[in-house]
Amino acid sequence: MNIELLTLSEIVDVAGQAGNFTVTVKKNPRYIDMDKCIACGICAQRCPKKVDDEFNMGIAKRKAAYIPYGQTVPLKYVIDPVNCLYFTKGKCRACEKFCPTGAVNFEDKEEILDFSVGSLILSPGFKPYDPSGLDFYGYGKIPDVVTSMEYERMLSAGGPFQGHLEKRSDGRAPKSIAWIQCVGSRNTNQCENGYCSSVCCMYAMKQALITETHIAGGGEQTIFMMDLRAHGKEFERYHQYALEHNVRFVRARPHTIDPGPGNSGVSMRYVTEDGRTMKEDFDMAVLSVGMEASDDARRLAEKTGISLNHYQFAQTSSFKPAASTREGIFIGGAFGGPLNIPTAVAQASSAAAEAARGLASSKNSLTREKKYPAETNIAGKEPRIGVFVCSCGVNISSTVDVEAVVEYTKSLPNVVFVENNMFSCSTDTQQMMAKAVAENELNRIVVAACSPRTHEPLFQDTLKEAGLNGYLLEMANIRNHNAWVHQKEPEKATQKAMDQVRMAVAKARMVQPLDKLQVDVIQKALVVGGGPAGLSAALGLADQGYETVLVEKTGQLGGNALNIRKTAKGEDVGPALREMIRNVEANQRIRVLKNARLTSVNGIVGSFSSDVEAEGKTEHIEYGAAILATGGRETVPEQYLYGTDSRVMTHLEFDRELADHAGRVKQANTAVFIQCVGSRNEKRNYCSRICCTHTAKSAIELKEQNPDMNVYVLYRDIRTYGAKEDFYTKARKLGVKFIRYDPKDNDPEVYQEDAGLKVRVTDPILGLPVVIDTDYLVLAAAIEANEVSDLLSLFRCDTNQDGFLNEAHPKLRPVDLAVDGLFMAGMAAYPKMIEGSVSQARAAVSRAGVILSRNRMYLDAVKSYVTEQCDGCAVCLDVCPYDAISLTEETIDGRSVKKVSTEAALCKGCGLCEATCPKQGIQVHSFTNNQLRAQVRAALDLPN
Amino acid sequence: MIEIRPSRLASLLGVHRNTVRNWIRSGKLAAKPGVGKRYVISRSELAEFLRARQVSAGVIQELTDRQPGVSAGAGKTRYQKPDIDREVPMSDKPVGSVMVVGGGIAGIQSALDLAESGYFVYLLEKSPGIGGNMARLDKTFPTNDCAM
Repeated sequence: MNIELLTLSEIVDVAGQAGNFTVTVKKNPRYIDMDKCIACGICAQRCPKKVDDEFNMGIAKRKAAYIPYGQTVPLKYVIDPVNCLYFTKGKCRACEKFCPTGAVNFEDKEEILDFSVGSLILSPGFKPYDPSGLDFYGYGKIPDVVTSMEYERMLSAGGPFQGHLEKRSDGRAPKSIAWIQCVGSRNTNQCENGYCSSVCCMYAMKQALITETHIAGGGEQTIFMMDLRAHGKEFERYHQYALEHNVRFVRARPHTIDPGPGNSGVSMRYVTEDGRTMKEDFDMAVLSVGMEASDDARRLAEKTGISLNHYQFAQTSSFKPAASTREGIFIGGAFGGPLNIPTAVAQASSAAAEAARGLASSKNSLTREKKYPAETNIAGKEPRIGVFVCSCGVNISSTVDVEAVVEYTKSLPNVVFVENNMFSCSTDTQQMMAKAVAENELNRIVVAACSPRTHEPLFQDTLKEAGLNGYLLEMANIRNHNAWVHQKEPEKATQKAMDQVRMAVAKARMVQPLDKLQVDVIQKALVVGGGPAGLSAALGLADQGYETVLVEKTGQLGGNALNIRKTAKGEDVGPALREMIRNVEANQRIRVLKNARLTSVNGIVGSFSSDVEAEGKTEHIEYGAAILATGGRETVPEQYLYGTDSRVMTHLEFDRELADHAGRVKQANTAVFIQCVGSRNEKRNYCSRICCTHTAKSAIELKEQNPDMNVYVLYRDIRTYGAKEDFYTKARKLGVKFIRYDPKDNDPEVYQEDAGLKVRVTDPILGLPVVIDTDYLVLAAAIEANEVSDLLSLFRCDTNQDGFLNEAHPKLRPVDLAVDGLFMAGMAAYPKMIEGSVSQARAAVSRAGVILSRNRMYLDAVKSYVTEQCDGCAVCLDVCPYDAISLTEETIDGRSVKKVSTEAALCKGCGLCEATCPKQGIQVHSFTNNQLRAQVRAALDLPN
Repeated sequence: MIEIRPSRLASLLGVHRNTVRNWIRSGKLAAKPGVGKRYVISRSELAEFLRARQVSAGVIQELTDRQPGVSAGAGKTRYQKPDIDREVPMSDKPVGSVMVVGGGIAGIQSALDLAESGYFVYLLEKSPGIGGNMARLDKTFPTNDCAM
């Protein structure tokens, strides 16, 4: 509604400045009229020209008239003028001849359009690395060497092989597959990509595990890697899961791939860690290609005048992770460097918050809200049902005899209008439906078409435009549940479609209008925690015009950042942090409560209230949304003589030593770092993520101060993901020695001897024990979330097994908590650097803004409700996954009566309570027992 | 408000482009940085500055009266880069809309967030449909959900 989608478009010019840009856009011709195209696909069927399909990475073919993929948005065909025969040879126009709606327009011209905008967000994405230049892998020459992106399409059920994995050489099913990691990443010899692409380790494991389910017997999966970088939330457990499923991990970077016997499969050569040269045959090799900046992104940067870093990604800073070098232009997604999906989504939300920041005074000035006519009152009226049977082009009608279904439907009780449509969802059919409602005084609508999951909102909207309540709609899915799966049995399919329509009509007779739940939004926010995440969240909210209360449990703002000297990018933390604190304390819209804690939380999304105890006084606050940024902490190590020998310290302690006793540190002969102290073990089964980078930076600092110092790093996997790989590379160049250990085989031993501190570890490359006499032993102590279970139980949200907050959806809603109206930021979600905390906080601001920007919000009307039959047995309380039901007691006629009551805002209408209740004491609107029973009886063709 | 390029202004005035940049930096020429290597200045201030530098009235006229350099015409028009100036709408209030360039998962998320919080969004995508690289993925880790 408030988004205008401009496809086939690119920026040609940007003028003006922050708040007032004029963007000139070139819109390329589609040669198909978007208003007329109904996506029937006839143009593509008739098009004689086949070309490589870029969506399927060139593995399959498409036509010159095409849609990129089945679910493309907008679902409109396009003619590719580079390949179209009419444009190249001057004749054909088959698509034009056969198009049923006359949508093809060969006269379409490119347009130059000007747009006036306040900010720009650039998210041109990344390009998968092209390994054609790496001749020793034989990509492009050996058919069974594919890139991971191609492999992804090969696995996909919607891909060129319909999900049946086959070798490209001979079409046979592969048994053994090898993945080679770091192709086009962590490589400065054959390409310029010195960074780690940070996603490949995880996707290779995912592909290996999915492959297992595609091969009869499971097959054999091998991953060749240097370090395994499972540095995110729940990543470590996924690695263990892969190991349990017999995915083999080999620590090697294969140097040559040769064709297998008869040019089928591959023959791979590699050198193991202990120096043995190996040759192994596989059926297929998958190159785990990294992410690169695309050429489009580079051009875009040029046009908009923003700076790129040495890897051609957009330049950003730790305290403004979404800002480009140009005011008013922001960076979203992987434009700033390789990111996984959840981080890209969070980064995009933070860019949205930043982009909105300077425009707050013009909020709601250009947006529109849809207006509907008043609803017709249908109370007490006999149901008059209109049924629309969709052909979905040929999707349904090629299997189901839709005309027969229409004729049958006319015989059903209360049905007064039946019609068949080519596409029920097309704009003109929508208008026709509204007309049919008016002319026939319809008061219930059944659409026999596709899935309500995708199309219910559209048809509900049509009903509303026709003056009917949106909940007077019932859908019968005769496409996905019928035509698509019964293609070989058209007669039975037609019979089934009739059954489905009969069921839908039976239920439609009983549906009632429902009102959406309305909440008056309190346009104020609460932020819990005063570290960098909490501070940036509060500032972001205040800049958007929302009054914010910041609750900090200690007497000082700043959190862990108070103990950190420099960010991963090398900026000084102190001044930036002090400025943030000053801005928060000076901001009129932010109230800071120190030494404070929440004692109660009531209400629901849009309208919360809490009591806060601060410095002995209790006060009551109200807010519409809350951001939890409760932070994390460095743990206290329990091993390696920590606490008994003063030379053994944690990272934060060593940072202080570097700051306070720089001279003493400089004099040292030797320093040893041990990684993963307290992480990646049974107690904390996760990677603390930031320590590898911290260690690499500290090691560099030591070497730069005193090049003669011996610096050792004992590690398990070095996880300097993204551009942080530069620090690892630099540390190695400066002569820092890295020795890998495995706690099972060669856990380092730390002991005192003659007042000296010694570390003994077996070097896996030499195969010999090494004893290091050291002056400092720095332990990369694990990071854990602060203990805030009291607070979380007040908010009714939960954490994962490791104590970090659970997101509503791990990929697509990475900063939303499962409870609506609550968001998270910072180390409470997972260990992260300052940059990540600030970015996540801004993302949370953006998400909270979606709630806070409205005066009133509407929640779905499909909710549970309590009936007279409830006797308070409370069985439903246990099954409700959302804590929406509570037991109440009231006194009626001197007797105490127990009943349950439901909190509509927490209820998601899942129906567990209704299914559990033994006496119909609790029901869900639109899915009541009576409605469902009517449907079941109709299915069995029983009278109601 | 119009937009100027220091290099173009310099060649008209017969000075080096760095001289123009120095004027701007020192505040002699009241221009604010715009996008790319361009600056934004009001017509009247530019005209006044040029008059003070004794530029002929004709040149000033030509510079400050020129209409915006872009036109959306029918037929195959090629976009011409405005060589010196171009109208830039100016008011005290910023424009309440945002352009998001790129329709991958990040661009879609930014667009949705902004549209739902009261800003009009133009979502620009160079290909025929949105979805980007994520649409190509078969399943996503760790839940193996379909990427679609």
